[in-house]
Amino acid sequence: MTGAPTELSLTDPTTYPRKVLFVAGAGRSGTSTMAGLMRIMGLHVPQPEVVADETNPKGFGEPRWAVDHHDRLLKEALVQVSDSRPEAWFETGRVSTREPERIATAEWLESHFRVSPELVVKDPRLAWFLGLWRVAAVRTGATPVFATMLRQPSEVVGSKQTYYANRLGSAHLAASWLNMMLHTERGTRGSADGSGVADGGRVFVRYEDLLTDWVRTTSQVAEQLQLQHVLHADSEQIREGHRFVDPTLRRMSQTLADLGLPKQLHELTAETWEQLNQLADPGGDTPEAHQALDQLREAYVDLYEESAAISRSSVVAAEQALKRQRPAPAAPEAGPSAVDRIPHGVRAAIPPSVRRGLRKVAGRQRP
Amino acid sequence: MSADLTNLEGHTEYDVTWPWKRPGGLRPGATAVLRVKDEAANLPWVLPPLLRATDHVLVVDNGSTDGTPDVARDTAEALGLGHRLTQATYPFAVARAGAEHLATPERSVHSLAYFYNWCFAQVGTRYSWKWDGDMVLTTEGEVSIGDLGWQVGDVQSIIRVPRHGLYVESERRAYLDLGLRNAEEWGFPVGPDFVFTKAYEWEIRTTPQPVRSIGLPHGLCVELKDLNGDEFAHWTDPESFATSYRNKRKRREWTVFQALKRGEVLPGVHEITAPDGVHVVEHVTRTWLPQAPRPLEVGLPELAPKSPAQLALEQGSRTC
Repeated sequence: MTGAPTELSLTDPTTYPRKVLFVAGAGRSGTSTMAGLMRIMGLHVPQPEVVADETNPKGFGEPRWAVDHHDRLLKEALVQVSDSRPEAWFETGRVSTREPERIATAEWLESHFRVSPELVVKDPRLAWFLGLWRVAAVRTGATPVFATMLRQPSEVVGSKQTYYANRLGSAHLAASWLNMMLHTERGTRGSADGSGVADGGRVFVRYEDLLTDWVRTTSQVAEQLQLQHVLHADSEQIREGHRFVDPTLRRMSQTLADLGLPKQLHELTAETWEQLNQLADPGGDTPEAHQALDQLREAYVDLYEESAAISRSSVVAAEQALKRQRPAPAAPEAGPSAVDRIPHGVRAAIPPSVRRGLRKVAGRQRP
Repeated sequence: MSADLTNLEGHTEYDVTWPWKRPGGLRPGATAVLRVKDEAANLPWVLPPLLRATDHVLVVDNGSTDGTPDVARDTAEALGLGHRLTQATYPFAVARAGAEHLATPERSVHSLAYFYNWCFAQVGTRYSWKWDGDMVLTTEGEVSIGDLGWQVGDVQSIIRVPRHGLYVESERRAYLDLGLRNAEEWGFPVGPDFVFTKAYEWEIRTTPQPVRSIGLPHGLCVELKDLNGDEFAHWTDPESFATSYRNKRKRREWTVFQALKRGEVLPGVHEITAPDGVHVVEHVTRTWLPQAPRPLEVGLPELAPKSPAQLALEQGSRTC
């Protein structure tokens, strides 16, 4: 709970209104650089943090609790960090409506507001739970603000392929990038036009801009989102910022054409990148831009649904492969079938036509 | 295009053509549909959060005499969201809930089911919220509905929204009833599996089997009751309702309302006074409820029994 509002004093951070900056965007898009700069400028990163490793030697700026929280919720929702399914947003939205999760998230946020009135929370999984965090901010009397990092999709995919050992393939990674960015834009839109009641604003930040001139870029972010610590940062903090930002962090230079994506996916990715880029321009976050992004989101959903519709054989083959890996039951009558062991929620999430196909393959009739 | 539903009275201009059959089909997004009659006093509270949280709001006026359509238009325009509001008029007297409804044929223009089918046939989005002209979202409710509206996409899921009666005595004071646990199905996909038909006291929306269903937490929506008005005018005589599980909310409202009129605050009802200069509806929806300790204490044990069907539904949704 917040106390009575006090008058803002530029030199007394205890008078700053409660605000929490959520740094969103695909992994490998400069979210760590943004969160790190915000910490240097005075925003509080809830402790403890994820420790730096060779994939991110300057540190992640990620609160350990938030990462674990998101991991658990993603598992419950059966959603991957890089998930290209449009319906995955409903699955994470659904777990975000659960009262125990709302309570846990708000209590955690409240405990860190006792340390500082301005927080920064960043995790590549965060985009899946923006609504949950917004609710937590509402419950703790804070204003949520959002910064979404933008980086060329070819570089994001290339970076992920390098750092995550290319297990997923460029088309999947590009589709996941599209799914995440198009829906993150939609999920933070209330902040764009002031129409959202619980939003203090949003910004889109190009990773390239942050590396080229982080002073100018963070100044614009602070001005737009009214981040008091950043607005009133002192010279030592700015020096530290210069020591922190390493322009060589941007190690990827491949183009979209290098990824060899299917034609439609390539075009959608290129158009989406172009549109998202406009949001990062001053005055670019407009209803016209939203309309264009709505059309791109719809086109992506259509593309995904079409692709899913014609690839059911892959689903069936995967199901068969899984069945073969499992030990055969001792006696069919003794227990539930493999299908019955799948939780109801998972079965319900499979489109009826696919379920029918799976039943047929398994030689089962509808009960 | 030929009509999908015609009415017994032959008012062809109010025949129903399903929107998913129109050229171009349905567009993504969610529309809130309000059937209103004399809600001019409530709409300035009801519409702003709905207009912010949804892609579109459809207000269907049904015989208002208090300037409701003008208030709806002015409220949306003052918010800069006039483009999200559509208004329509349904000119026929609609049967009141209870005995009058039971006696009305489903295909009559006077039937609640026919009326709702006509209203929802005007919707152009793939998801819909059935909303009342006195239901006000809290801040948390607004962001929750706003998120689910786009997250649901093409997933065929119903969404239940709990609501709590807010009995407004004056601009400064109101009484919030948290004594009854009550959540109704308000969010539905738009499509042939989800149309309206007749139930005992009022209309009901059809659902396919199986269907997914999720419930929002308590404390996200209040239903305004004017303690100085005739809140139960839309009822046929309350005595005409058989005592059934289905109308326990109505019976609770009647009991709380009558008690407050006598000056008695029943268990489970919270008296709330707003700070100076803040309207009590704003205070409750922007501050009191969003920041009330969680889990919110809702539901008196004596009002807690659930129907066998509801228990089964909850059992199902826990695994869904």
